[in-house]
Amino acid sequence: MSSDINRQMSHVSEASSMGSDGNSSEDLEEDNDYYMDNTDDLDLDCPSKADDPEYFEYEPLQLIDAEGMLNEEIETLCTRLKVNPSTAKMLLFGHNWSKEEIIENYQRDPLGFLIESHLASRRKHDKLVGPRPTCSVCCRDLSQDSFLSVACGHMFCRECWDMHFQTQIQDGVTTGIECMAKECSILVPEDFVCEILTNPKLRDKYSKFSFNDLIKSHPRLRFCPGIDCSVIVKAKECKAKKVECQACGAIFCFKCGLNYHAPTECAVVKKWLTKCEDDSETANYISAHTKDCPRCHVCIEKNGGCNHMQCPSCKCDFCWMCLGDWNNHGSEYYECSRYKENPNIAHESMHVQAREALKKYLFYYGRWENHAKSLQLEELTTEKIQTRTQKKVMNNEGTWIDWQYLMQAAALLKKCRYTLQYTYPYAYYMEKGSRKELFEYQQSQLESEVENLSWKVERAEIVDRGELENQMDIAEKRRQTLLKDFLEV
Amino acid sequence: MANIAEQRIKREFREVVKSDEVAACNIKVELVNDNFTELRGEIGGPPDTAYEGGNFKLEINIPETYPFNPPQVKFVTKIWHPNISSVTGAICLDILKDQWAAAMTLRTVLLSLQALLAAAEPDDPQDAVVAQQYKDNNAIFQRTARHWTTAYAGGPNIDAELEEKVTSMKNMGFDEHKARVALSTKDWDVTRAAEYLIS
Repeated sequence: MSSDINRQMSHVSEASSMGSDGNSSEDLEEDNDYYMDNTDDLDLDCPSKADDPEYFEYEPLQLIDAEGMLNEEIETLCTRLKVNPSTAKMLLFGHNWSKEEIIENYQRDPLGFLIESHLASRRKHDKLVGPRPTCSVCCRDLSQDSFLSVACGHMFCRECWDMHFQTQIQDGVTTGIECMAKECSILVPEDFVCEILTNPKLRDKYSKFSFNDLIKSHPRLRFCPGIDCSVIVKAKECKAKKVECQACGAIFCFKCGLNYHAPTECAVVKKWLTKCEDDSETANYISAHTKDCPRCHVCIEKNGGCNHMQCPSCKCDFCWMCLGDWNNHGSEYYECSRYKENPNIAHESMHVQAREALKKYLFYYGRWENHAKSLQLEELTTEKIQTRTQKKVMNNEGTWIDWQYLMQAAALLKKCRYTLQYTYPYAYYMEKGSRKELFEYQQSQLESEVENLSWKVERAEIVDRGELENQMDIAEKRRQTLLKDFLEV
Repeated sequence: MANIAEQRIKREFREVVKSDEVAACNIKVELVNDNFTELRGEIGGPPDTAYEGGNFKLEINIPETYPFNPPQVKFVTKIWHPNISSVTGAICLDILKDQWAAAMTLRTVLLSLQALLAAAEPDDPQDAVVAQQYKDNNAIFQRTARHWTTAYAGGPNIDAELEEKVTSMKNMGFDEHKARVALSTKDWDVTRAAEYLIS
């Protein structure tokens, strides 16, 4: 089967020093490969770059490496433009780190470009009048040498600058600190801030925040959103692709930093999540946690991820989502994931339209929420498989390796269900038309294969290994097809 | 810190009170307590607007970090304006938020507020209902704003028709202010306003 699985097996055999084919250096290399290339170790067919719509090149950086990388870029700009590091930093920050563009613009018109970047001004510097001029912020009369200004020439006393920086930093503003004058948007460079700030604690805070600002503004760097995770991910290009953090396991979208959401776009998923947050109470209220068996009306609680339900009392098979007969969900047309819009909606009254809108939302929300819940339950399945495998190994029913395919199946199931979950916001915001029909067709195909897989994984003992692996292959192919056709990045 | 704030307010106070230009623009500031943290402002409605002839009272709170942070200002006088809440008097104005600069003064704030009365920004609303009316039905908006100026800010223009509608709702047993809000919200349709108040 997959080369990945083989690789993992070779690794396991080595670790338990049972390797019969010898611990050649080649093997070791493969191991390293396995650890390095952690992007998608579950893919059944190990797709090549061109084939895999989710393929994305990235590498994790530690804070210090990221700092080094930024400093290098800043330094290059310093030497090319003969400006100081503070200015270079501000230019890169303000212009999306596109060095070539900055250099070109700067060389065409240095002053004009700096003015446009809020780093220079044509304004004449304030003249300090008399031996003890008044600071217009604190209204004190001070000696001339207490006054300082940035590029715009607005003079304020050192103490006021200090206070200004303190307030700004406490509000979380660092790279964007502006001059104190009215309607002056000249930016204050880092060296000026650091020279004046008296409080060492705040100075640390400033450098930390401004470093974060720099990372956040960099199109090819992203903080891992995982809790307490300090990894910075570096990619070749800023795309809405999947990143899996090796340190904390977080799976997120490189572009927006939210949970990975293919095939839905960043903006759409954001809109969807806000909507769900706003409307969730109604939705929660309406979608209860239990349902009645459609035939014998016994109350059923869902305790696994699979939507293919079998009533424990009357043994009828039905779909958890639509309560329809499971047999109709068969291979060809899985109608359950498709929302049927009322064709006459345009002629209905406002009230009916609003009801219809809520109905539509609840339809998609229900399925989204259901997959999210199923995913959680799938975790339990994985745990169960783990204990079962252990028991089997203890009872000498095959080796640990023999049962690994079950773990693979559970992991793949999670992956497919995850993608499936994120197809619902996509479908919700899709315009009616042939493309939506195609999408919903593919979605229903995936839905049906995922449920088949889920059913088989939960009954892994009685399902033939070949059959299960075949189902894994089908489900992953469906997932790939859908992403290939609809993931636009 | 507080020392700078106090120093500044004392200084600005003199500036606003004395300046001729300020008197011409019809703006005023008074102290409420002795420690210069609470002030009361007043601005005259700008000429050729729905607010002309009205006097609008403001509550000004000076934070300890003033002037590095902006003063907190809200309308005490009820006003019908897209950028000012008709319920709380809260103001949506950039210089009172992120566009504040330490070199700005109370005088700048009051003049900016006066300018805001003359030129609303309906796309950046504080009061969504008012902003919607401003955009969809500007004639009604102007009339409503003028009516509110007369009712709450001592404006001289009495709109007999609108007055009558408020009185008729008052006679139905509704509170005068609530009736006015409902009527204003429902474009002065008495039936809808009554429904709105009952529901």
